[in-house]
Amino acid sequence: MIEMPPSLFPAVRRALVVAFLAVPGWSGAQDAGTAAAPERIDLSNFPGEFVDKVVVPIPAEIFAVLDKLDEPDWNSGIQLPEENDRGGERSILALTFGSLVAEGFISVQAKNPEEIEKIGKRVLELAESLGLASAVRPHSLSIIEASKNRDWGKVRDELDATQQTVRTTMEKLRDDELSELVSLGGWLRGTNVVTEFIANAYSEDKAELLNQPGLISHFRETLAKMRGLAAGSPAIRAIATGLARLEAIIAEPGELAEEDIKQLRDISRGMLEEFYFEKPAEAK
Amino acid sequence: MSSRPCLLAIFLAVLFLLGGVVHAFVNEAISLALEAATPYVEQGFEVREDNWSGEVEPGKPLLIRHQLFRGNEYWFWAGTSWPGATIKIDIFDSEGNSVGLESFAKDSFAGVRALPQKTATYFIRVVASYEKKGKGLTKAERGANDPVDGVGEFPGVLDWGVVYGYR
Repeated sequence: MIEMPPSLFPAVRRALVVAFLAVPGWSGAQDAGTAAAPERIDLSNFPGEFVDKVVVPIPAEIFAVLDKLDEPDWNSGIQLPEENDRGGERSILALTFGSLVAEGFISVQAKNPEEIEKIGKRVLELAESLGLASAVRPHSLSIIEASKNRDWGKVRDELDATQQTVRTTMEKLRDDELSELVSLGGWLRGTNVVTEFIANAYSEDKAELLNQPGLISHFRETLAKMRGLAAGSPAIRAIATGLARLEAIIAEPGELAEEDIKQLRDISRGMLEEFYFEKPAEAK
Repeated sequence: MSSRPCLLAIFLAVLFLLGGVVHAFVNEAISLALEAATPYVEQGFEVREDNWSGEVEPGKPLLIRHQLFRGNEYWFWAGTSWPGATIKIDIFDSEGNSVGLESFAKDSFAGVRALPQKTATYFIRVVASYEKKGKGLTKAERGANDPVDGVGEFPGVLDWGVVYGYR
């Protein structure tokens, strides 16, 4: 009998996975060697373990649906703010990083290589401020190169990878709070642009995309658990208040009406003005 | 050979072994899940970089909460790397009703497809199982050539990983 070195097993198993999925006629429409899924499970009395980790959808997931329902003018949604100095507070940098990546996703929808290039460079500058430039540089260069080649799928992948690299690096440095703020910044910018488009051309189908109470609740818990100086900063407090207001609207029973969407748009805009967009002159 | 290079060599060897064990235990499950996803990428699914992973007792179900959007189509893929272990993955709506449209499960990897009927939080159930024990294991399933005590024996928990894609 031929024995394989143990180090070969992962590679062999991977090869078997691919071979299995490549079998002609395999549609995946059957269970191979396992019992069928139960028709129903009792979520209130689940006999197992809930996984704590929340994976926040990237803006591109919701943009993909919006594109199927409508054809928004994505170029009008790009609003890359002027570079402004809001200080070196890491929580603000992390939020801004997430929002910049979301701006990149908007620019990909718009198929706008010039904006993507600007965003790729800004992402790298921000990564330098966060001390993560070496991890982000390869992604930043790939984003710019892929946009020049108009390989939009690749740009999306790299934007997702950029955000993930930054979050993973922060988590390795035991900076989980910052990692969550990156996700929050991205979600907020994505939500804001979606509400703008839906407010401009309302439909119930589109409004349903904002039904995300679980994510809002997750972000509220994240901010409530924050410790240290950042937790008491005016920006973080304002964002926490904003999330509570968003939650109050979304948690209301029934469909989200056009007026609700406009409120969500304005609230999310106000939250972004705490760290990303310039505040209107009268609000300063 | 002086003692310093010798100690360094031992230290590096231990580090390498430990690194290998940890790497295999944490990343290999995700790697398998991603391998299962590969054919679907060609069908237009965009696979997310973020994922879920960890360790679990065999047979203990796990439940992942996740936001899905009506209008998108999703595949969730799961993997476990322990030789001889199996994994299953299903998806349910917030009422606990199964919403998986198709699925597959083959030893160390599995997948389920969903087309959400509404935008909401859904629940992905993952069960990693392992039946064999002790002498029932082949050398291959022990995962090593009996190198040292404790290495290659079933540790009592299984690694698991889940990735997803949308289009």
